[in-house]
Amino acid sequence: MFSRTKNINLSPIKTIELLASKIPDVVSLAQGIPSFDTPEVVKKAAFKALNRGAVAKYSLTYGLPEFRETIEQKLAEEGMFYDFEKEIIVTAGSIEAITASLIAIIEPKKNEVILFSPSYTSYAEVVKVSGGKPVFSNLIEDDGWRIDFNNLKKKVNSKTAAILFCNPNNPTGTIFSKEDLLKIAELAGKKNFFILSDEVYKDFIYLRESGFFSLAQIPELRKRVIRIFSLSKAYAMTGWRIGFLHSDEENIKEILKIHDSLVTCAPVISQYAAMGALDYGEDDLNRFRREFNSRLNLICNHLDDSKDFFDYQKPIGSYFVFPKILPAAYKALGAKWGDSWDFALKLLEKVKVAVVPGIAFGPSGENHFRISFGRSEKDINEAMERIKKYMQ
Amino acid sequence: MNNLFKITIRFFLKWFAKIYLWRVRPHVIIVAGTTNRHWIKEEIIKTLKEKGLIARSNEKNFNAEIGLPLSILGLPSGEGDFWSWLKIILQAIGMITNYKLPITNYLVLEMAIDRPEDMDYLLNIVRPNIAVLTTITMIYRENFEDLSEIALEYRKLVRTLPKDGLLLLNFDDQRIKNLAKFASCRTLTYGLSDGADYRAENIKKITTGQRFEIKGNSIKINRFGNHHIYAKITAYAIRSEKI
Repeated sequence: MFSRTKNINLSPIKTIELLASKIPDVVSLAQGIPSFDTPEVVKKAAFKALNRGAVAKYSLTYGLPEFRETIEQKLAEEGMFYDFEKEIIVTAGSIEAITASLIAIIEPKKNEVILFSPSYTSYAEVVKVSGGKPVFSNLIEDDGWRIDFNNLKKKVNSKTAAILFCNPNNPTGTIFSKEDLLKIAELAGKKNFFILSDEVYKDFIYLRESGFFSLAQIPELRKRVIRIFSLSKAYAMTGWRIGFLHSDEENIKEILKIHDSLVTCAPVISQYAAMGALDYGEDDLNRFRREFNSRLNLICNHLDDSKDFFDYQKPIGSYFVFPKILPAAYKALGAKWGDSWDFALKLLEKVKVAVVPGIAFGPSGENHFRISFGRSEKDINEAMERIKKYMQ
Repeated sequence: MNNLFKITIRFFLKWFAKIYLWRVRPHVIIVAGTTNRHWIKEEIIKTLKEKGLIARSNEKNFNAEIGLPLSILGLPSGEGDFWSWLKIILQAIGMITNYKLPITNYLVLEMAIDRPEDMDYLLNIVRPNIAVLTTITMIYRENFEDLSEIALEYRKLVRTLPKDGLLLLNFDDQRIKNLAKFASCRTLTYGLSDGADYRAENIKKITTGQRFEIKGNSIKINRFGNHHIYAKITAYAIRSEKI
């Protein structure tokens, strides 16, 4: 019984949140949920569709044509040209998009999926759910969490089906450079594997000069790249479960079969709401970005006050910081040295602050923990003050 | 926005847009139909600008009862905010009472209908010189009995075209093609099928986009999907015809 699921774990983020929910007065900086409510323009679009009687029925499996047309327009503004009729699928969030893509891609003899370590904790489980085997390739912390191409090349073989990464990266908040992404594309071309680029945090970049590049902008890579985006973070819509993916029609027609089997179509009311977000949500998105930027500075100030306990690199994107746990921090909490799970559990138990242990993001995430500054300024201040007070 | 507020805004915008059109007298090109209005509008605007004409089009997808007059006036939406709307209304008053209004040769407007009365309302604001009709599909059909009822709305648009106007119909959509008989102006068709006045042929998908021919001229675009080819054909027709 359950032979397929026995090696699949509940995401550590959810485990921590579950534990935290049982302890009174916990402040959680664990889950990557924006503290904001969904913007009014988005709600208005949903109400309008609801009152029009347009949301009770399934949409086309691809998604509402008018929403996909809007997506195509938005993509074109970012230099990505995809046909809304055949090359875009609206999905139930990014995780469904990733799952559908991996199920379509993974084959019995080509079943390995490369993940960067550290990277988003659910990737490894999704690869397993899709019948694949996650293979970690380390990022180099001392080089700003850059890709270690020597290591990556060693991990690629004839069984490699795909590489899946988040850009900007969760949990490190770093952006992969155009040069590095093109190297990945070159490698994928030589070794014939797919590139899954999850760009859910691309709207939260705090250093304008860093720029942002997507491999989906290169027409020659259309057949190799599957780009994933979700409206969850950008428009504070995590509960609406809405996102999309796009690629060449050759790939999309295969992924569509899986998407159809999994969900039939993305929630229709969320599709209308998302259309409102893309059409009219820009001001709210800018407001969120400004707010996150100020929270980033706030959290960095707190971390600067705790230099004896934590070391960190200031993130460029996303809304996460991924500090390194120094020996003094383990000692202060009475946690096992080198065990970020124990550190996170002790922090929860003794300080009543929930964070995600670094090991959840892959082997090289050990000795770190992830803090979300998507949460409110009040929560950030409270949590960080508690940590500082306890440690000192 | 509550109903009374919405009715008031609608009323003001309608009259300001009418006054603007009366004063500026641009050539109006309406792009209507249930799909592909955006890309056709974009291509036509590009073509007109390449010809050195001063042309303007809808902001975002402002194409219905509130959005269309805003597009005519070139103003943003106040969304649900009273003060933003007040600012916009004052801006509109300032604009239409301005002694010297900026010249606009062409207004290229997307027009969208949600329910049967919409077309009458929109045509009461603006009368086109040229109309491009795209498709009649199931999108937005919730408030219509069937596709034929939607076609009846577009028939109203066709009938408003002046004798010296131009009607461009999608040859590949039977319901759209059938509207030709209600026009009193020059009528031309565009499409991918044999028989269209402006037709794209020898379509090939290439790595970087699509390649095709219109009237023997080879055209390459960096976009994918037939809707971009339709957009290119209509723009080609606008460029080629005397308008």
